[in-house]
Amino acid sequence: MMTTIIGRLSQAALLLLVMSAIGFVGIHSVGNPVYNIVNIETATAEDIRNATIALGLDQPLWRQYLLFMGKVVTGNFGTSYIYHLPAFDLVMSKLPATLELASIAMLIAAPCGTLLGLLAGRKQGGAIDRAILKASVFALSIPSFWLSMVLILVGAITLGWFPSGGRGPTVSLVGQEWSFLTVEGLRRLTLPALALAIPNIALIARLARAGTIEVESQDFVRFCRAKGLSPRRILFRHTLPNISIPIVTIVGMQFGGMLAFAVVVETIFAWPGMGKLLIDSIQLLDRPVVMATLTFVSLAFVGLNALVDLLYAMLDPRVRLST
Amino acid sequence: MTHDSPQAPLLVVRNLTLVHRATTGSTPILRDVSLSLQRGEILGVIGESGAGKSSLGNAILGLLSPDFERTTGTILFNGKPLDGNNERQWDTIRGRRISAIFQDHTASLDPLMAIGPQLEETILATNDTMSRRQARDHAIQLLTRVGIPDIDQRYHHYPHQFSGGQRQRAVIAIALAGRPDIIIADEPTSALDATVQKQILYLLRELVEETNVSIILVTHDMGVVSEITDSVIVMRHGEIVEQGPTSSLLDAPQRTYTRSLLAAVPRLRVSNPGERKERTKHLNDPPLHVGSMEPGTRPILVARGITKSFSGGVFALLRTRPQTPALQDVCVQLDRGMITGIVGESGSGKSTIGRIIAGLETAGDGKIEIDDTCFDPSRSGSRSGLLGKVQMIFQDPAMSLNPRMSISESLRESVRYGAAIAKDELSIVGTMMDRLGLARSLLPRYPHQLSGGQKQRVCIARALLAGPSIIVADEPTSALDVSVQAEIVQLLRENVRERGISMLFISHDLALVQELCSSIYIFKDGRVEDAGSSEFIFTHSQNPYTRSLIDARPRRFTH
Repeated sequence: MMTTIIGRLSQAALLLLVMSAIGFVGIHSVGNPVYNIVNIETATAEDIRNATIALGLDQPLWRQYLLFMGKVVTGNFGTSYIYHLPAFDLVMSKLPATLELASIAMLIAAPCGTLLGLLAGRKQGGAIDRAILKASVFALSIPSFWLSMVLILVGAITLGWFPSGGRGPTVSLVGQEWSFLTVEGLRRLTLPALALAIPNIALIARLARAGTIEVESQDFVRFCRAKGLSPRRILFRHTLPNISIPIVTIVGMQFGGMLAFAVVVETIFAWPGMGKLLIDSIQLLDRPVVMATLTFVSLAFVGLNALVDLLYAMLDPRVRLST
Repeated sequence: MTHDSPQAPLLVVRNLTLVHRATTGSTPILRDVSLSLQRGEILGVIGESGAGKSSLGNAILGLLSPDFERTTGTILFNGKPLDGNNERQWDTIRGRRISAIFQDHTASLDPLMAIGPQLEETILATNDTMSRRQARDHAIQLLTRVGIPDIDQRYHHYPHQFSGGQRQRAVIAIALAGRPDIIIADEPTSALDATVQKQILYLLRELVEETNVSIILVTHDMGVVSEITDSVIVMRHGEIVEQGPTSSLLDAPQRTYTRSLLAAVPRLRVSNPGERKERTKHLNDPPLHVGSMEPGTRPILVARGITKSFSGGVFALLRTRPQTPALQDVCVQLDRGMITGIVGESGSGKSTIGRIIAGLETAGDGKIEIDDTCFDPSRSGSRSGLLGKVQMIFQDPAMSLNPRMSISESLRESVRYGAAIAKDELSIVGTMMDRLGLARSLLPRYPHQLSGGQKQRVCIARALLAGPSIIVADEPTSALDVSVQAEIVQLLRENVRERGISMLFISHDLALVQELCSSIYIFKDGRVEDAGSSEFIFTHSQNPYTRSLIDARPRRFTH
C-alpha cells in the first residue's frame, strides 16, 4: 500500500518535472515576451533592456529555469506579464467556469454514450447498431468549430432557445462564482456543453459497443440466459458493470482533456475558461500563466488517474483483493 | 430411478438436423439425431469436440447462435414442441423447466456480482411468488445443500474468492434455483481436478435421486460417463454412433469408434493394497527428494527453497482474508534426459513453479541451478544466458500462438531467437514439421485454420526448434480430445527422448503422469506433499493425499 502510494507520488513528481522543462523550453523558443510588454512603437532600446532585466530574461535559459523552479517550490509561479496578477490565482479564477462546463458535458456524454453503446452492441449488425456506428463516425470526424457554429445556428438563431455565448450571471458558492445554479446560467451552459459532449458521446458509445459485444459473447451471459433472466436485467445488471472499466478510464482522460484543451469551444462561445486563458497566454508569451496552467493540468491528470484507480477497485472486486 | 416408469418420456428429440447458415452445402452440425430422456435419468452424450454434442445441448436450451438453422426435426418437452425462435415461450422454459451447467465455472459466473445475489436473482426470476427475503433464505438453503461451507459468512463473497469446485457447486445451485425438470450439463467437471470431479459427480447423482430431475451430461470423458450415467449416446461428426444403457455399452461396445474412445482413456495401474503394504516394510524412510537414478549424473535442474506469494499492491489494506502463499519452500529437481511429473489440483502451485522455472515469473525467494549455472529466480534479469534453453508448452495451444503470425513465421522466429544456431531456417522448420506429422502445406496458414491437435503440434515444434535442454509442459493435452491426447503424449515422449531433453510435465491427470514420468512430485497448497519415483508413488506411498488422488480415479479405468 505505502510503496504504491510512494511510487505514484514519485511518478507524479517526475511527470511534473518533465512537463515543466518541456513547457519552459517550448514557450521560450516561441519568442521573446518583452516585445509584447513594451510598446514596440515608442520603446527605446533602453526601455527594452530595462524590461528584459526586470523580467529576468537576460539570464541564460537554464538559470531562468532554476530560478523559476525555486519559486515554484514555494508555490509561487510568478506574476502574469500581461495582467499583473499572481499567475496561479489567475488560473484558479478560471477554474469554476471550466469545471462546470466540463462536468456538465461529461454528465451528458457518459450516460448517453454508454446507453447508445449498450444498445448498439446488444444486436451487432442490426439496424440500431449500424445507425449508431454511422452517427458516431460523423460525430467524431466533424471539426468542433463547425459543430459549435451549427449548434449556435440551430439552438440560438433558428430556435432562439439558448443564448449564443458568454457566461452570464453567476452565484457565489464556497467562495467561487458558479453559473450552473441559475436557470439563466444553465441555458448559457447548454450549447457549449453539447459541443463538448457530442464527440465524447460518440467515443464512449463506440467503446461501450465493443465492450458489450465482447462481454455478451462470454459464458456467464449465456448462463444468465440459461438461468432464465430477462434480457434487460442481463444488459443492465451484468453487462453494464463488466464494460464499465474501460469506460471509466476514457471518461477520466477525456474529462482531463476538457479542463485544459476545450479551446475552440470556449473561444466560439466566449466562455471564460482555462483553455482560452492558455491559448491567449501562449499568444502573448505570458510565461508564468502558461506554466501555471500546464502545472495545474498535469496535477489534474494525476488526480484523475488516482480517482480512476479507486473507481476500478469499487467496480471490480478482483482488483480490490489481488493487485 | 422413477417408481412409475414406464411413462411418457420427459424430452424427445426426433430427427434433429442443424446446419451452419454461412457454410451451406457443408456437412451439418447435427444430422438426424434422435433421443429420449426419462424423468430422473442421467443421459451421457459423449464425443470429441466438433461432434456436435454441445450444439445438441444448446438446441434443447434454445441458445443456439442465430448462425445455426434447424432444417428438420422436432424437440418435444412434456409432449409439447419447443420452437427455437419463440422467445416468449422460452421465458417460461429456460431456468424454470430446463436449466444448464456449463463447463467453465469461472466464466459461468458474473465476476462482478457476489455469489449469493447471483443465485438470489435467479430464484426471483424463476419463481413468481417469492419475496426477496424468502429468495435469500432459499438461496442460503440451496448453497448449503450443494456443499458450500459457511455460506452465511460467504454469501456476499465474489466468484474469485471461491475455489473451482465451490464455484461449480454454486453454478449447480443456480441451475437448481427454478426447480427444473431437466438440467443440461455441458462438461460440468472437465475444468476440475480428479478429487473435486468425483465429488461434483456424486452431488449430481444425489440431486437426481432427491429431486427426480433429469440430466443430459455432455462430456468427452469416458470416466465421467462410467461414473454416473444411466444411458449413453456416442456422437461423432454430428451423428449418433451408438446408444444404449451405460453398463452394456461400456462392457460390450458395438462400434469401432466407441471401442477406440474407450481404449484411449489413460488407465492407472495400482497394485492391490496387500501387496502395497508388504513392500512398504522395506521402505521405512521414503525419500522426499528424488535422487537421480544413476549415480554420477548430475541433475540438469535443481530448484531450492522456491517461495512465491501474490500479495502487495494498491488495495492490500482492503483485503478481507489472509493470503495463502502460492509456493512455500518448494524444492524440485529434474534428472538429465528424464521426464519429471508434477501433479496437483488447480491452485496447488504446480503451474507457478513451472512458470518460475521457465523464467516467466519471478519467485519471492529461492535458488535455481540449471546445467550448473546458478541464478536468482527473484530477479527477472538474472537469466540472460539461458534464453531459449528452457522452453514452455502451454495448456491451450489456441491461446499460445500469435493469431496474426502464420505457422511459418511462428516457427522461424523460434529458430532465429532460440539457443540453436541455424543457417537454413526453412529446411529446419520443414524437417521438424515432418517429424511431428504436420503437413508442410500448413506453413502459410494461420492458427485459427488449424485443429487443436495441429496447433499443439506447432507449439511442440516451436519449443523443440529453439534447441532447449529443458521443456516445461503445463497440461499440454488437457485442452485436446482424448484420441488426439494419446498421439501428442507419444510425440512429446519420443522427441524429448531422441534429443536428450529433460522435461517437466505438469498435469492433473495421474494416469498420464504415471505413463510418462520417471519421478513424480505431488503438490498441495503450494508445498511438495509427496515425491518419489513413479513406482514409489503408485505402489508404496502411504501419504494420505496421494492415496486419495489415486482412489479418485473412476474405478472402471483403474487396473
